[in-house]
Amino acid sequence: MKKTMVIDLDRCIGCYSCEMACKMENDVALGVYYNKVLTIGPMGTYPDIQQYQLPTICQQCYNPTCVDVCPTGASFKAADGTVMVDKELCIGCKYCMMACPYGARSYNAEQKVVEKCTLCAHLTAVGEKPACVKVCCSKCRFFGDIDDPNSEVAKVLKEAGAENIHSLPDRGNHPSVKYILHRKTAQWQDLPPKETWRTPHQSGKKEEKRHG
Amino acid sequence: MDSEFSLVFFTAFVDLGCGLFIALAINEWYSFSETVKQRGAIATLVALALGGFSSVLHLGHPERIFGALGHPTSGIFIESSMIGITGICVIAYLYALQRNASKQTLKTITLVGAITAAILAFAVGDSYVMGARPAWDTLTLPFVYLASALLMGALAYAALLVEPNALMIQKMKRLVQALVVVQAIAIIAYLVALSSAPYSDASRSASSVLFGGFAMLFWVGIVIIGLVVPFGLVYSQSKNDGAVALSNAPFALGLMCAFVGAAVYRVIMFNLGTTVWQFF
Ligand code: SF4
Ligand code: SF4
Repeated sequence: MKKTMVIDLDRCIGCYSCEMACKMENDVALGVYYNKVLTIGPMGTYPDIQQYQLPTICQQCYNPTCVDVCPTGASFKAADGTVMVDKELCIGCKYCMMACPYGARSYNAEQKVVEKCTLCAHLTAVGEKPACVKVCCSKCRFFGDIDDPNSEVAKVLKEAGAENIHSLPDRGNHPSVKYILHRKTAQWQDLPPKETWRTPHQSGKKEEKRHG
Repeated sequence: MDSEFSLVFFTAFVDLGCGLFIALAINEWYSFSETVKQRGAIATLVALALGGFSSVLHLGHPERIFGALGHPTSGIFIESSMIGITGICVIAYLYALQRNASKQTLKTITLVGAITAAILAFAVGDSYVMGARPAWDTLTLPFVYLASALLMGALAYAALLVEPNALMIQKMKRLVQALVVVQAIAIIAYLVALSSAPYSDASRSASSVLFGGFAMLFWVGIVIIGLVVPFGLVYSQSKNDGAVALSNAPFALGLMCAFVGAAVYRVIMFNLGTTVWQFF
């Protein structure tokens, strides 16, 4: 079993509702995110311009490097395949934050522990869907067991076709979240595009530091 | 990521302690100096303690640290256990010195301690080797840590020698100069690895170190203060005879500079450690 998320980028309009719903549902501190909508692009030259929105969350990896490095077992893989943090065990060493290739984890300065998207485990445990899935006005987010061919996520992926299914770069962590993007919408970018006027904060690209 | 000063000082102090104990082990095996043994062992303990204290400052919940004992494969477990074993060896060495233990006992204790110290000096760098951060995903990184441990250890050992004779000073001078060269080679190897790291990005490029945002720190902190000054300080030792030539003060100054160089390397390393994507 592998509970994860599929996000259809052809349908995402970049309204940021999921970002807001996540912050409210999980009481995420100011300046911290579990879920953030990045703008990828614009790329190309006029009139051949393309751009898409990329909602980012913990990628619920098959081989989570964050779990491998955790010294206490606070980061663990649950029975349903989701990657979780037991805040009671966390010593706040931030080693897992270093080991995540996407910066998907954040430090909770008040509780002095690390946290991240839980796919709203408190909601899914009582049969509900994650807050971002519920709130999405374009119905582009799907949650379920990707290993179950009868699940909604498996069906959506089958319908999209292998050539339109994408994942973020794999550094041995094997991300399980899948993105659907057809070429007619935009060209999938394996990395944040370098040629764009978007600020690093908007596009997920790190700025060159001026000092140490 | 940010500079993470607690980890900068953790690894720099631990590497200093490791290097010094390795030097003390060589001293024990080749019987160079009697008087340096006790003060060297105490200095090793102080360096390891300062390193351990710095690492605790990094933790959000240090009171839960014993939870780390259950997961022996993590880098933090390896670091903590190696600090523990090395620390025990240093204390055992001090105790054995106090009790006038046999030469063989002292040799055995220092040999075990030197092996764990070498592993620890490497391990504190190796913990950062991870695919998530392309600038760290190279084994040259822990070798820079190990090389800095050896350089700082040799300088600390020489600085702690009591009234060293000219021959000893001469030997230490050559050793320190060789270790400066080793450290420089390790840093060059790291920069070569950095320039060929996958997912190239301006935030972690070798050119940003050599000519960009980190250039000032690199050239002044690592190259001039960390390498050229220690090399020059001990070089001046051979220039004149007499009291000045026999002083080990240049080694103490060289140690301070090498420590600054080691700390600056670690600061730059943390800042180069950007992820493949950065969501937030
Ligand atoms: S995306 Fe990062 S935090 Fe989430 S499971 Fe993968 S490695 Fe861990
Ligand atoms: S910060 Fe917490 S969850 Fe992350 S590696 Fe350390 S103990 Fe594990």
